[in-house]
Amino acid sequence: MSVVALVVGRFAGAVLRADLPELPEERLAETIVFVVRRVRGMPSPMRLGVGAVAAVVGGLGAVVGDGRVAAVLRRFPLPLTGEYVRLVRSLAYAYVWDRWPTTSAAGAAR
Amino acid sequence: MTESDPDVVVIGSGAGGAPTAALLAEAGLGVLVVEEGEHVRQGEVVPFSLEQMERQYRAGGVTAALGRPSIAYTEACCIGGGSEINSGLYRRPPEDVLARWRTEHRIERFATDDLLAICDEVERELDVQLLPAAPIAAGAALQRGAGRLGWDHDEIPRWMTYDGADVASGRRQSMTETYLPRAERAGARLLPGHRAERIVVDGGRATGVVLRDRSGVVTTVRTRAVFVCGGAIQTPALLQRSGFRHRVGRALAVHPTVKLAARFGDEMNVPDDVPVHQVKEFAPDLSFGGSASNPGLIALALSDHWARFGPAVEDWQHLAVYYAAITSEGRGRVRAVPGLRDPIVTYRLTRRDRALLGQGLARLALVLLEAGATEVYPSYRGAPVVRGRKEIGAMRGGFSAAKAAVMTVHLCSTVPMGGDERWAATDSFGRLHGTSNVHVNDASLLPDAPGVNPQASVMAVAIRNARHFLVTWERRGRAA
Repeated sequence: MSVVALVVGRFAGAVLRADLPELPEERLAETIVFVVRRVRGMPSPMRLGVGAVAAVVGGLGAVVGDGRVAAVLRRFPLPLTGEYVRLVRSLAYAYVWDRWPTTSAAGAAR
Repeated sequence: MTESDPDVVVIGSGAGGAPTAALLAEAGLGVLVVEEGEHVRQGEVVPFSLEQMERQYRAGGVTAALGRPSIAYTEACCIGGGSEINSGLYRRPPEDVLARWRTEHRIERFATDDLLAICDEVERELDVQLLPAAPIAAGAALQRGAGRLGWDHDEIPRWMTYDGADVASGRRQSMTETYLPRAERAGARLLPGHRAERIVVDGGRATGVVLRDRSGVVTTVRTRAVFVCGGAIQTPALLQRSGFRHRVGRALAVHPTVKLAARFGDEMNVPDDVPVHQVKEFAPDLSFGGSASNPGLIALALSDHWARFGPAVEDWQHLAVYYAAITSEGRGRVRAVPGLRDPIVTYRLTRRDRALLGQGLARLALVLLEAGATEVYPSYRGAPVVRGRKEIGAMRGGFSAAKAAVMTVHLCSTVPMGGDERWAATDSFGRLHGTSNVHVNDASLLPDAPGVNPQASVMAVAIRNARHFLVTWERRGRAA
């Protein structure tokens, strides 16, 4: 797995654990795989841009913890990082409710 | 040239490429249609699902024009192009738009009557028609809201056939059902899974096209003429990679769109269909309509303020997504960069565009509240839940385009046609300036975004240009 895939996956996990705390682990893992696959399939300029932001965010996460970085970015959406959070969240939510339409707002399987 | 070398290579199989291939093949030319995507038959994937995005959209639908805000867009990547994945809504090009293109862009022999006569043909070929019965609930709501406000609204016909009065039986008359079979019957060959890397040019004349298949194998097809019909992003990117830069990729025009989700007391949601009604009271500046609303897309529409909006997703059967689209004064660019496989796409909204998006979202909310929506969830960061008219002001006050999830599906004008070489990339019939046999025949040619669903405009222009090409081809043949 590439470094970008790794940091995007870690970040997506942190965002989803905060947003959808009741999402079962196996669903979380499947959703992360989907997000990473879509990021890897993006057009090359977008992939480079997302990779750069993800690397910075991932570096910060390695120091202070992914959960803490995700919490700050969710609360204070800065121009580039805000778009990164929106991208990860959009992909993840679309996947969760396309795949399991009866999921609760907190992520619980119903 | 060998016997197997086609007379013409058509790159792209969508609304521009498919009729081009059909007309040329029926006139007796050897035609090869090259398509980067795969062939997905109707019914293999659920419309608007993630699986469809995976198989028929470029990059799984994750594409954006960079800017502040970035504008998410979608491009098809499959046999039949955008006609396989769009809503199937059909709007003739407005006459005032045709007149503007003719006069401001000095397009020769571009008579409105001639183009509308081609529209007649297209409508017969695609079975363009109104719904055979009542619209889906989300469409009826739009109709009801606009009616109560006294706002102009209408049903948009679709290229669709139905079994009797069963709306759910609709079968889209996309390119794989119409012009591509015609092209194949006339002898055209379809080559899916091949990306056109560049056009080989010798002294201003195309001599071949370099293709790469999915396994990376590169071949060169020799030909006597090339039609580039890859859509408003891929067409200019290919031309730039081939060394053509004059006015190419510099004037991307789109219809930027903002969305909201509306919740009703009754069940509204039809996951695999879209409403066919549009509110045109403020057209062409503003148009309102309904979007695909499967549960994944509902969640997406609510994702900008999940803490506040999220609980509504559990009631997705009662929700539908709607859009406000604007005609934009802004423009974008498409740039192919050496070393990168895909082009960089940018777009800049003007101040007027940003204001219009906010105005559009507010008016759209009003229509839906009038229609009986109990709650409206606008798609921008920090948006409030709107439950009544009095709250629309606060919603509009908090809106800024930079916070909104702006998207578009209509991309045009990156290789504009026209009679003035200073401003146009091609002549009045799509032949690229500086070449004798490279033609463009897709949405890239439209001088600007037409303010309506553009497929009819694309097809009318493509058919006109293909016919003009055949006349000149025959003349050259006779001269030879």
